[in-house]
Amino acid sequence: MKVLIVEDNKELASGISDYLNGEKYICELAYTFEVAREKLSLFTYDCILLDIMLPDGNGLELLKYIRQENINSGILIISAKDALDDKVNGLEGGADDYVTKPFHLPELHARLRAIYRRKKLEGNNLVIFNEIVLNTDTVEATVNNTLLEVTRKEFDLLLYFVVNKNRVLSRQSIAAHLWGDYTDNLANFDFVYQHVKNLRKKISAVEGIDYIETVYGLGYKFNTSKT
Amino acid sequence: MKLINKITIWFIGIVFLITPVTMFISRNNIKKHLDEAEVTRMKEVNDRVAQQLKAGEKPDRYTHGRPIAISLLPGALPEQRVTVVKDNYVAEDLGRKECRITVDSYYEVGAQHYKISSYNYVIKSEEIFRGMLGTVVWKMLLMIVAVAVTARLLSGKIFSPLRRTMKAIHSFDLKQKNKIQLPQTSTTEFKELNVFLSKMTDKAMEDYAAVKEFSENASHELQTPLAVIRSKIELLSETNIDGVQAALIGDMQNAIEKLSHINRSLILLTKLENQEFKATESLKFCRVTKEVIATYEDWITMREIHLSTNLDKNIPLTIHPALAEMLISNLLSNAIRHNRDGGQINVLLTPREFCISNTGLPPQGPTCELFQRFKKSNQSNDSIGLGLAIVKQICEVNNYAIDYTYSDGWHRIHVYFYKNDQPVINSAEALSIAEVLSA
Repeated sequence: MKVLIVEDNKELASGISDYLNGEKYICELAYTFEVAREKLSLFTYDCILLDIMLPDGNGLELLKYIRQENINSGILIISAKDALDDKVNGLEGGADDYVTKPFHLPELHARLRAIYRRKKLEGNNLVIFNEIVLNTDTVEATVNNTLLEVTRKEFDLLLYFVVNKNRVLSRQSIAAHLWGDYTDNLANFDFVYQHVKNLRKKISAVEGIDYIETVYGLGYKFNTSKT
Repeated sequence: MKLINKITIWFIGIVFLITPVTMFISRNNIKKHLDEAEVTRMKEVNDRVAQQLKAGEKPDRYTHGRPIAISLLPGALPEQRVTVVKDNYVAEDLGRKECRITVDSYYEVGAQHYKISSYNYVIKSEEIFRGMLGTVVWKMLLMIVAVAVTARLLSGKIFSPLRRTMKAIHSFDLKQKNKIQLPQTSTTEFKELNVFLSKMTDKAMEDYAAVKEFSENASHELQTPLAVIRSKIELLSETNIDGVQAALIGDMQNAIEKLSHINRSLILLTKLENQEFKATESLKFCRVTKEVIATYEDWITMREIHLSTNLDKNIPLTIHPALAEMLISNLLSNAIRHNRDGGQINVLLTPREFCISNTGLPPQGPTCELFQRFKKSNQSNDSIGLGLAIVKQICEVNNYAIDYTYSDGWHRIHVYFYKNDQPVINSAEALSIAEVLSA
């Protein structure tokens, strides 16, 4: 996947690109509005990460340009303002999704993947890893062709793990993914433990491989090298 | 006491003080003039009699029936040709005080000296006084009534700029960007007051805007560095690290989580203050409540809390959907967090109010203080202490009344959707009133 990261903060841009490089994505960086427009006119990208506030222009203007030029890339907006107006304007302006700073990298990645699936894989709604098949449309998960009896949250959790495989996922990031805006009101992340435990139990029950492992002090990891 | 009443009382007081003095002065004046007039008259009478004497006429005809005595004066004429004597004595036959003026005139008629004396009883000063008293009572009454009535009528006119100014101050809200509108007036003092007030409010608004802008910008500017730190820590946790480092990173992640939560809450509070959440259409509050409760079900089950709900159906309210969700979410999460394991939560929703009550430890300090920012019932608690401040702000934005009480181990928070519905008396008083009524 080829990604253009339009973000004026160099540290943040490099952080994002480091993470995405680990997924074997090709990332290009644009720190300004002009550079971004130039790159968009010359190359094509599968996905664009777009910061709304740029030193020399508004990300929403770039969105307009993308639409004018009929550029068929998935667009994920990044903004420091989680103002609803920005959100609505962004999505109406042709963006596919929206994350607010400070975001978790695995979350950003999961959203990018979701956009990619919808847009580039022509709505291919199957996420497959070895014996695990996740259907994002019907919210059904199968392991070795056996249907996994999972709740919506457990499904989301498994999908999050599969998309961010071999990554350390902090409890905070998992909580943010599953509970969204409600995360702030959760006193601790014991629920994450509870949900992970249930999910592992259910996968083991259908004799699937337990890829999920605990990373001491940090969170969990979907370890593909497990057999 | 009203200014106008004070002025009226002072005015009447002054009238009461001045009146006896003026009475004294006018009594003396009247008495003096009456006496003088009498003396002049009697002098003229004496002169007339003397002329008659000189003309050789018999004065009998004229003096007849008049208190005039003519007598021959042996010896020389006294130096003063006219003497006036005023007698105040008690007339024994009538048993009352009398006042008599006697005018003695001395004439030389031919070779003989005559003394002609006239006397008359004049009105006594007490009598004048008595006559005046009746008038004064009426005068005072009329004055008091007139002062009171005109003060009332005039105050309506004179003080109307002041009243309008006070109304303007009363309705002035620093948080709203409208400048204060003060009424025009021709009174110098009120003009000064208005100039001073508008200067003061302008300054306050400027300062408020500056402070707000600062906190707004600061919060937004913090978001990017926070994102950088968070992403770098996530990348760091991917590297080869040992258990000690992992624990350090874990702590950092917790701190960043808290920091970003505080920052988000502050941004939200600023936005609420800026009235950025305008409700355009009504939503079904009951549905939002149900959705939020469903979100927290995991947590409630985990803490083995018994939740009982009593939600009326079809409750439309005009509130921004995000705010409605946040309101219930904050209240419910508080009720869970500050509960004891195996405790209880009751949620009640009627068309008039939303009430959530939960078991838990008694609060340390007054409950109303918990609506303040960063105020926590338990300082060591994990929460950041902005949840209730946000709830309060949401209520203010939507004109809801909120009240928090603690009794018998239950924390109760009521949100009244219509401010007038808030009970003025507490339930204990209501109970005793009910008992009195039924007795």
